[in-house]
Order: sequence, then C-alpha cells, then structure tokens
Amino acid sequence: MILIGEDLNVMSKEISRAMKERDPEPIRRCVVEQTRNGMDYLDLNVGPVAKDPGETMEWLVKTVQEFTDLPLCLDTTNPVAMESGLKVCKKKALINSASGATESKETMLPLVPKYSAGVVLSVINDAGLPSDADERASSILDSAAFANELGIPNEDIWIDPVLLPVGVDQRQVVAYLEFIQMIPDLAPGAKSICGLSNLSYGAPRELRGLLNHTFLVMTGRYGQHSAIVNGFDKELIRINRGEMPEIVNLVYRAMDEDDMDIFSLTQKELEYVKTTQVLKGKTLYSHSWLEV
Amino acid sequence: MVKYEPPLEKYSVNIREAIVGEGEKAIKIGGENTFPFHFFEGSLPNPPGLALEILDIQPENWAQWVLEPFQDVTFDPVRWAEKCVEVFGAEILCLRLLSTDPMGRDTSPREAARITKKLADSIDVPLIVWGTGTEEKDSQVLIEVARVCSGKNLLLGPVLKGNYGQIAKAALEYGHALVAQASMDVNLTKELNIALCKFFPAERIVIDTTASALGYGLEYTFSIIESIKQFALMDRDTMMQMPILADFGGDCWRTKEAKESKEQGIFWEAITGLTFLLAGANLLILRHPDALRLIKEMIS
Repeated sequence: MILIGEDLNVMSKEISRAMKERDPEPIRRCVVEQTRNGMDYLDLNVGPVAKDPGETMEWLVKTVQEFTDLPLCLDTTNPVAMESGLKVCKKKALINSASGATESKETMLPLVPKYSAGVVLSVINDAGLPSDADERASSILDSAAFANELGIPNEDIWIDPVLLPVGVDQRQVVAYLEFIQMIPDLAPGAKSICGLSNLSYGAPRELRGLLNHTFLVMTGRYGQHSAIVNGFDKELIRINRGEMPEIVNLVYRAMDEDDMDIFSLTQKELEYVKTTQVLKGKTLYSHSWLEV
Repeated sequence: MVKYEPPLEKYSVNIREAIVGEGEKAIKIGGENTFPFHFFEGSLPNPPGLALEILDIQPENWAQWVLEPFQDVTFDPVRWAEKCVEVFGAEILCLRLLSTDPMGRDTSPREAARITKKLADSIDVPLIVWGTGTEEKDSQVLIEVARVCSGKNLLLGPVLKGNYGQIAKAALEYGHALVAQASMDVNLTKELNIALCKFFPAERIVIDTTASALGYGLEYTFSIIESIKQFALMDRDTMMQMPILADFGGDCWRTKEAKESKEQGIFWEAITGLTFLLAGANLLILRHPDALRLIKEMIS
C-alpha cells in the first residue's frame, strides 16, 4: 500500500509554530525522518489557514522540497492555499481533498486538470456523510462523473470512503470495509485512500497502533491503494513492507472466522485476532476490547 | 397446501438474573433468553420490575397531578415509602437522596445513610438507592449507605466511570447490587461493565443507559436499549448481558404535556415506560402510582 506520512500537521504545536515563524528546522527534521522511514508521499496539512494562506503553503512546499524528493499531498480546505502550493510542486501532487459537496466540487476539482494533479475525493456530499456502503456508492458515482466531465480520469481520483473512529460509530467502520470492495466496479481504475489514524482517535494511546495496523491489513486485503498514516509508526511500516507475514496471515484467518486454537497464540497474536473481530463488527467495541 | 410455519429464533444465552432485596419479597429481574414479550420464542421468567420513587426532601416544582397522591406524606420519606407499598402496591421502591446534592443542601453521607436505613427497615420490599450523579459525593454517600445497610442487598446507583471503583468495593463487602450508568453510548456501557467485572460479580450489575421522555428523545433511549439486548442475545456479548433499568419519571413530568392535564401526564409516563419495556428494559423507576397501575395492567 502507498503510505502517506501525516506528521507535517498544523495540529502539532511545533510544526504549527514553525509554519507561522517560517522556521525550516522542525520541518526539516519531520520531513527527513518520514522520508527515511519509507513514506511514499508526505501530507502537508496546513489547516484552513486564515492568515496568508497562499504564502504559507508556498513557503511550506518549497521548504519541504529542499529536504525530500517525495511527491506531496497538499492538505487544506482553502482553495487559495491549495493553488499556491500546486504552483510550486515539482512532482505530480495530490490534492487533499475535494468532496461531493457543491462548494468543494466547484472550487477544488477544477484545480486537478489545471495542475495535472491527483485528487482525494471523499464520499461526503451536500447531505453530509453517507450512513452505509450503498449510500457511499451512490455519492461517489455522482462525484466521479462530475470529475470525469472536467477531464479528470479515474486514475487521478483517490476515493476516500471516510473512516470514522471505531469508538464513535463501529457500524461506519464495517460500512467502510464493505464499500472499499465495491470501488473497482463503481469507478474502474480509481484509487482509494483513507486517513488511517482517525480509526483509533479516542482509543487508549498505547493501543492506537494495534487498531491502525490491523485495519491496514484488512483494507489491504480488499485492495485499498493508499493510506495517510503516522510516519513514525515502525510496526505499521514493517507490516506494509511484508516483513510480518505471520501477523497478516493471522488477521486474514480472523477475517474468515477460521477455527483457531486461541491457546496456541502468543499475547500479541491474540491481540490482533481480537482487534480484527472488533473491526469487522463481530465484537462490540469498548476501550478495553483486549481485556475480554 | 403447505402449512405456514412462523420462523422462530432461538438464542443460546440468557440475560443475567439480578436479585434486589432479601427474603420473600426480593425481586428478580432479567433471566430471559429472548427479546421482550417474545413468549412464543423463548422464556422470560421474570416480569419487569416496576419501582415507585421517593425523595428524601419535599418535592419542588412537581406538577400538581403527580404531587396529589403523596401530598399527605411528602414531609417524611419513611411515611411516603410506606404509602407506596401499602396503598399503591409498589413491589420495589427507589429512594433518591436529593438532599445530598453538593450544590443544594449537601447533607452528609452519615445523615443520608441514617435516613436510608430507617426507611429500608420500615418496609419489606426491595430498595433502589439513588445518588445525585455527582461522582465524588455519590461515592461518599453510597459507600456509607452500603455500610449502614449491610446485607440488605440494595440496588445502588448510579455508578459512573469516575466513581465505580470505591462504590463497587463497598457493595461487594456489604452485599449490594449496582446500577452502572453510561449515558446513551453502547461502547461506554460495555467499557464500564468490563471495568466493574474485574472484581465485581456480573450478576449483581444492572445497566442504566439514561432515559428520556416521549417526545423528548425517547427514540434514542429505545435504540440504545434495543441494541444492548441485541448485542447480548445475538452476538452473545457477555458484557452486555445485564438487565437494564430505565429511569424517566422526572423527565416525563417536566414536559409541558404532562403538566397540562392529569390524564395526559399519567399516560405520558405510562407510554414512555411501556415503550422502554418493548425495547428491552427490565426495571422501570416510575413517579405516578397510576402510571404504575396502567403498565401493570398492560403487561399482565
């Protein structure tokens, strides 16, 4: 799976300060480390940027490109910031994001052909977030058709089914898994993407990785193309590189509800099995899901 | 002609049976292995518990219709309790220790426990004892109540995420059951039950999802209660297999509809209660004796 590092993010105090004061050093450290860890893209999340949106994004893109050759994913809802960033991207950029909401379609999507970029297109529309897989399908059919008419080929569309925290609405996680399997039929050639860390938002900090890793494996099996991830999560990166085949295999078996000898599993293996059961909606989530 | 056979579902697990009170008049709630009123599919050994509530202070701002039946006894919680049992036939009572509210009269845990003991000794039906939902104060009050009323198997609540530990230890030591409350959230309900069950017996826990009145959010409560029962029976989730309590009398009698007329108020409370029984509640806390009577008639 293509991994997009999420750590250049205005939510981080240090990065936010560096952006405001135009201090390249924290940016450098974050970029170099994520690049070294093997990210395929870097996400540049500048938020809605109230002040000097254009300048801020332009400075950030230029600064980041001094320290890495990776392609960039520009993450802002501000179209001015987006366009200023796109102008200075050296490689094919990814616009993060557009949705099926009228305003977003009309301001963001025209930038895609103009700058030969890719675009993250979420299933959100004017009615909000669809509640199940079928509604997601109908929303993305409309938005993709709109994008196609603007001359954006499916190959440049990265569909975002929108992943909600499992602790907020477990059924939405199950709907996500259902929907992602439908994508090849809905929009042949289109890619898929998710904000993986959102899955474990609100979960106990030390257990967030486990949820994220398990879901990466599950969605990977269903053909998910890419994920925006914590670029410092070593185990996630190892799993993605195929260095933990036994865990992947175990998650697959848990997805298939194979009979397993629970007592032969190590503590860690058992945790992956229990987490798979939660994420496929078989066990009701609670923050102590590993304790039962 | 092929004869029509209605499809029947069988579930392999039971809701746990919780006992409140001691002796002959103790009541059992839960124990069913099917959904509410599905007598054609499984067994529901215990009828729902229907409690009447009593305050430890004089009610304020109660609609006149709901005050009427108690007018002669509200000055004394013990006489109020006795009237509920002797005149209105309540088989279980709920004493609300409103006086302990730290923002109000802030009665001491000792005084609250004294009143509770006196009241519990004067009746022979089981007793639910309810704090004010203030984590720290409830913890002090309910622990003292548990100690003073040792062995009476009271149902103490609400026990919350922030105070379950101390209260549950006291309930364990002095032999009481608990109401675990997580507001309108199945995940947090499960979370609290898991935490409690690490040292407290699951069959002495009753779930409270918090409840709202007809027209004021009843459908949310309904969905939550219904899903808990589904997780319990269909997914066999052991941490959701506790009986469920619904407490809504106060909310019902605060509605403008209930305040408008006596008949409307009683129906408002009775219909809200019946609806929660249909969702799967095993124990209701009611305010008006006529609402209790109506519900009893409907389900008998």
